[in-house]
Amino acid sequence: MKIRNFFKYLPTFVFCGFIFTFMLLWIIIPKEHYSPQEKRVLADFPELTAETLFNGSFQKELDTYLSDHMPARNFFVGLNADYELISGRNGSKGVYLGSDDFLLPKPAQGGENLIKNAGYIKEFAEDIDIPVYMTVLPSSGYINSDKLPWNHDEYKDAELIEGVKNALGSKVKYFDSVSLFEEKASSRQLYYRTDHHWTSAGAYECYCGLGSAMGYAPVAEDRFNKETIDGFYGTSYSKSALWFVPPDNIELWKCIDQSSDAVSVEIADGDDKKSGKSYFFREQLENDDKYPVFLDGNHSLVRIKNKDAKGGKIVVIKDSYAHTLVPFLSLNYSEIIMVDLRYYKKEVSALAESENADAVLVLYSLSNLSEDTNLSYLF
Amino acid sequence: MVFSSFIFLFMFLPVVLALYYITPRRFRNLTLLIVDLVFYSWGEPMLVLLMLVSILINYFAAILIGINREKKALSRTIFVTAIVLNLGLLGFFKYAGFIGETLNFVMPFLNIPIIKVSLPIGISFYTFQTMSYTIDVYRNTVKVQKNIIAFGTYVSLFPQLIAGPIVRYSDVAEQLVNRRESLQQFTEGVRIFLVGLSKKVLLANQMGVLWDSVRRSGESAGALGAWVGIIAYTFQIYFDFSGYSDMAIGLGKMFGFEFMKNFDYPYISKSITEFWRRWHISLGTWFREYVYIPLGGNRKGLGRQIINMSVVWFLTGLWHGASWNFILWGVYFGIILIIEKSFLLKLLKKAPAFVGHIYSLLLIVLGWVLFYFEDMAEMAEFIGRLFGSSGFMMSGSIVPTVISYIPLLIAAALVSTPLFTFIYHKIKSKPVICVIDNAGCVLALLLCVSALASSAYNPFLYFKF
Repeated sequence: MKIRNFFKYLPTFVFCGFIFTFMLLWIIIPKEHYSPQEKRVLADFPELTAETLFNGSFQKELDTYLSDHMPARNFFVGLNADYELISGRNGSKGVYLGSDDFLLPKPAQGGENLIKNAGYIKEFAEDIDIPVYMTVLPSSGYINSDKLPWNHDEYKDAELIEGVKNALGSKVKYFDSVSLFEEKASSRQLYYRTDHHWTSAGAYECYCGLGSAMGYAPVAEDRFNKETIDGFYGTSYSKSALWFVPPDNIELWKCIDQSSDAVSVEIADGDDKKSGKSYFFREQLENDDKYPVFLDGNHSLVRIKNKDAKGGKIVVIKDSYAHTLVPFLSLNYSEIIMVDLRYYKKEVSALAESENADAVLVLYSLSNLSEDTNLSYLF
Repeated sequence: MVFSSFIFLFMFLPVVLALYYITPRRFRNLTLLIVDLVFYSWGEPMLVLLMLVSILINYFAAILIGINREKKALSRTIFVTAIVLNLGLLGFFKYAGFIGETLNFVMPFLNIPIIKVSLPIGISFYTFQTMSYTIDVYRNTVKVQKNIIAFGTYVSLFPQLIAGPIVRYSDVAEQLVNRRESLQQFTEGVRIFLVGLSKKVLLANQMGVLWDSVRRSGESAGALGAWVGIIAYTFQIYFDFSGYSDMAIGLGKMFGFEFMKNFDYPYISKSITEFWRRWHISLGTWFREYVYIPLGGNRKGLGRQIINMSVVWFLTGLWHGASWNFILWGVYFGIILIIEKSFLLKLLKKAPAFVGHIYSLLLIVLGWVLFYFEDMAEMAEFIGRLFGSSGFMMSGSIVPTVISYIPLLIAAALVSTPLFTFIYHKIKSKPVICVIDNAGCVLALLLCVSALASSAYNPFLYFKF
């Protein structure tokens, strides 16, 4: 073939080269069982029988299998995210890229479920003879509104949280974290850049604020030894697929006045049990998403004891934001029982009473409180 | 199997291309027929039998018509039987539920049990294709195809099996038995295929997302949002359909076939008459060839022509789906076309071009409202919204969504015009075309594959659910 003709017909070779190479790669690359970015188990090769072939389920599942085990999947997902970003659709994957490399999840929409959940908490508080405290945390996008891209959905966090507060009734002692955060936002970083959670500093500010409401004396910031760990890629990072965003830091705050054997953490997921001698589960630092270093991530029921603490026993009903706050609270309470309603399917009011808890703290982020449908397990 | 899927792009297509080109020339139709059946049965493991029945009916009907050509009455009987069987299958599988429901609505005392059958993929397309063959054999304008493999290949040819173009047998009769694939043609095929894939994946799908957001936002869209939404749908349906046709034409070329052009920049039309010469050309051609002209076309006076047009447009609407809104949509265009034919076309020709463009686009876009909403109450509500029933301005979260789609809307508008084709032809002979061609090819592949990969990427916030 003449060289001129070769160039003329090059698209054919590019196209065929691409599809054939891809097919081969698909066949030969080793298959992963689990995707750390997506935190989910990937599809297995579908079962091939006459039945699955004729009812079409083999064909459907093969499609999922191929998508899950696509060669260079992260590269392509990232390329699509970049393309959407430069073609004007910042936020198309549910996360905005803001200034200073901040990734900000889109706002919670509120809606009926939010007020319904507030109603459950109100009834719960009226139902038991234990004081109930509550705070709802605003989102990173609301607090860091100066970092949002110019074209974004409106964050109505203050308005929605006000609605929750009004639906709680008089028995729940509500602490206003929105005002606190609005005030502190300019002086320190309260939320991670690559994750929707608050930083240790954010949780510490809330801990100090809650002290006056709940009646404990917060430990001063200079009594902490702060260890900084880098290479943290949070959930917002995985969702956005904007791989060029630099990694975040995560800080572990350790109180220097605490004796080394004072703390014990017992984790129970039904019959699955696990324990530790620290608030921090350092094996989680091996992963890209390092947030579960705090109390080992989400579990049904976690009991945290601190022999050095003066205060009594509290129950914390929470989402994952509490994992950063509870290590601070633990400095003041000798026992904290942390319950996650997404996994704990028994009555929490019965638990709080049988444990003779001195107080209950309900701690939710606005987005989780809007979406969670498990609050009926409170009583 | 759809073209814009991994299974097609990276499994089926490479395997089929390899099989096809290692097969000796005289067995290539057989290879194609086998892969066609695999392609069809991938999504419809049982209904492939229906397509085979349809192939056999028309194959034998044509042979019998050919043998009995001298016996006029007999060949006519065979022909009518074949047409009745073809339309009967289409009618049963596509329209039985609709006809039953309509009769029950008009005459509730009948209480006809409604038969629920799933619509076999592509039945509207392949039935029209097989009928074109049988009709043409009866009219003695094409030769009878005695080779069942060649005929089966024609009916089931996977590139155009699912969504057209509706290839008439007479157009490909020669190619079926006597085609020469070439690298030149293959390269054109790659180019057209990738253009089609990009239209589908990068434009149509995204316009669909915008249209969905507008509908979900309800009243807060206002008239402005509703117009943006229906314009997005206007783009979605064009890029979806023409993208699919382009992919079919491109794939056809890779296997040595030339199919007719199905879309010719319909949105630049200056009248609805012109629009229907540019939109879904193969369907329009089919109806003109096999319904309008046999009915007498325009040769029997204006009165008869209007009746003929009404019949054609009623059927065109009905062909698009078993629901009243499609009939409404067909009749809507039928009426506009009759009006244009009687006087408006002459006026439009005298008026400045922009008048024709605005007039046509407005009617086309409004037409898509009829096409989209199968539920008449929802349709009425949406039409109300277009004309300000819930205010003019958008509010709430639809505003940033619409703003974020402005670049794509502009791109969609530009791609709807012949601008890029014009530029491409301008620079075709320059050396730089080689770079543009190949860079475009790589870029299209990367972007389309990444969009497909992304739609299957689902990070879970909490992994223990």
